[in-house]
Amino acid sequence: MKPKNYWNPYLAGVLLGLTLLAAFLVAGQGLGASAAPKRLVALGCESISADWAHSNGSIAKYFEGEGGHPLKNWLVIEVVGVLLGGFIGAVSAGRLKGEVMRGPRISVRGRLIYAFAGGALMGLAAAIGRGCTSGQALSGGGTLAAGGWAFMMMFFGGAYAVAWLVRRQWT
Amino acid sequence: MSSFFPLEFAGEQWRLLTGIGVGFFFGFSLERAGFGNARKLAGQFYLNDMAVFKVMFTAVLVSLTGVFSLSAFGLLDLGQIWISPTFIWAQVVAGFVLGIGFVMSGLCPGTSVVSVASGKLDGLVTVLGTFFGVLVFTLLFDKMAWLRSLYSAGSGEVILLNEIFPFTFPALCLIMTVILAALGAFIGAEKLEKIYSKKLGRGPLSPADRPRMKYYVLGPLFLIALAAAFYDAPAVQDPPPRMLVSVEPLSLAERLIAGDGNLHILDMRDAEAYGEKRLPGARLLGDLDSPGEYLERLAEGSTVLLYDQNLAPAEIPGTWPGGLNYLTLRGGFEAWQREVLTPSEAVGGSLEDQEFTRRQNQIAGYFSGTRVQSKAAAPPPPAAGGSKKKKKPAGGC
Repeated sequence: MKPKNYWNPYLAGVLLGLTLLAAFLVAGQGLGASAAPKRLVALGCESISADWAHSNGSIAKYFEGEGGHPLKNWLVIEVVGVLLGGFIGAVSAGRLKGEVMRGPRISVRGRLIYAFAGGALMGLAAAIGRGCTSGQALSGGGTLAAGGWAFMMMFFGGAYAVAWLVRRQWT
Repeated sequence: MSSFFPLEFAGEQWRLLTGIGVGFFFGFSLERAGFGNARKLAGQFYLNDMAVFKVMFTAVLVSLTGVFSLSAFGLLDLGQIWISPTFIWAQVVAGFVLGIGFVMSGLCPGTSVVSVASGKLDGLVTVLGTFFGVLVFTLLFDKMAWLRSLYSAGSGEVILLNEIFPFTFPALCLIMTVILAALGAFIGAEKLEKIYSKKLGRGPLSPADRPRMKYYVLGPLFLIALAAAFYDAPAVQDPPPRMLVSVEPLSLAERLIAGDGNLHILDMRDAEAYGEKRLPGARLLGDLDSPGEYLERLAEGSTVLLYDQNLAPAEIPGTWPGGLNYLTLRGGFEAWQREVLTPSEAVGGSLEDQEFTRRQNQIAGYFSGTRVQSKAAAPPPPAAGGSKKKKKPAGGC
């Protein structure tokens, strides 16, 4: 089956924007994607050494409060929904396929090395900036948060700054 | 008055459950936009497919228009939704580094989840990389002072973009400006796509791209924001200050003598002046940890009298609760001393004036502990009459 076309970007943007708006109206908070990895890492650290995790300056807060479980959080539940929505979306459009997306000039191995390194940088950045493209640029930007807009500008700036260096991967 | 949005739930677990539904549409819309595909996302940075910019900016504009219009219409309480606080240097550095990571992996933390859900191995590896990056941060956080200071570099306050301008710029006006700017930027993005698609020999990965759609999207958004801005206009003004009702020292005295249990008196002067002399039963305002809380505890309909040395305070502080009667003493404590504690002579000639003076002196006696006899002389000629409630010794007319 030939995959369906992607949606018109402006229409996809409207659905994404309405989803973001719904998040604010229903749950009182915006969308996010990096909270789940942060909290899963916190849980992993706790399973290795609870004392260390509970006294660590960056993750101790996830264990606080009544029944404080790092995964008992709206953003973690939401990411489960993202997996579900992404899966249903891919299946219904005929795009569910095990493969590696890469440019014509790069090996699978090279592409995966780039993917891991890029992911690591994003994990680090999302932890420093208290959010990623979803939490800062989209949700911060969508509420006129000054820091979210600064993040968004710098995000495009950083990507364009090194795009030429990694062009072999994509073009 | 509480707004309809954000919704309130009977329990936190019900609110958490909404994450599944909202997340579903988040993932679904990213998938339909093509954001499970790293090649499509990366096209943004080689200018042959600007979908990232178009989708993201459209979504931001929909959210901005929705959030601030609903707030203007009184349906959403902005104070009740989580707005990302500004740690400006953390966000500047993180945004830049995340941008580098994005063009390397072709995905961001959110889209990598969708990529995994569509079966892409590069998405899975990106997610693993993200976990690794977060782990590195967690391990280094307590060891590296610079990392901690970068993490909290900035005020940490909620600062809205329209507040950073040196002039007043209502949020909805800024949003309308951004919508117009977006229209120009979208047209520019489409031009760039055409040029670079030719250069790279490969166009956007969404062939059925109807560029006219941007007018159908941005037009209504602009009109909604415009309507909200006009609706909002009168409400932009601060609520009119609640004015204190001024009472005459003598009528206050009468009320004290009558023993009004619902009357609470607050002294605005400093502790020294308060220690020296004060109104009977007055509490020192400065002694209260939180005047607002103290007032909240008073029974509904109680009367609160506020006085200063000589000026009457005009406005009720905005943080003080409603449902109470606020009074102030005309002329302040000095007037109290002058007009209540000092016996006076009748200046008017009428019987009414004389009665008034007698009463006043009784009051003075009541509060100063001595009974003072009026030295009211024989009534002056009727021509001098006319002063009604003037009781100053140097009265004249």
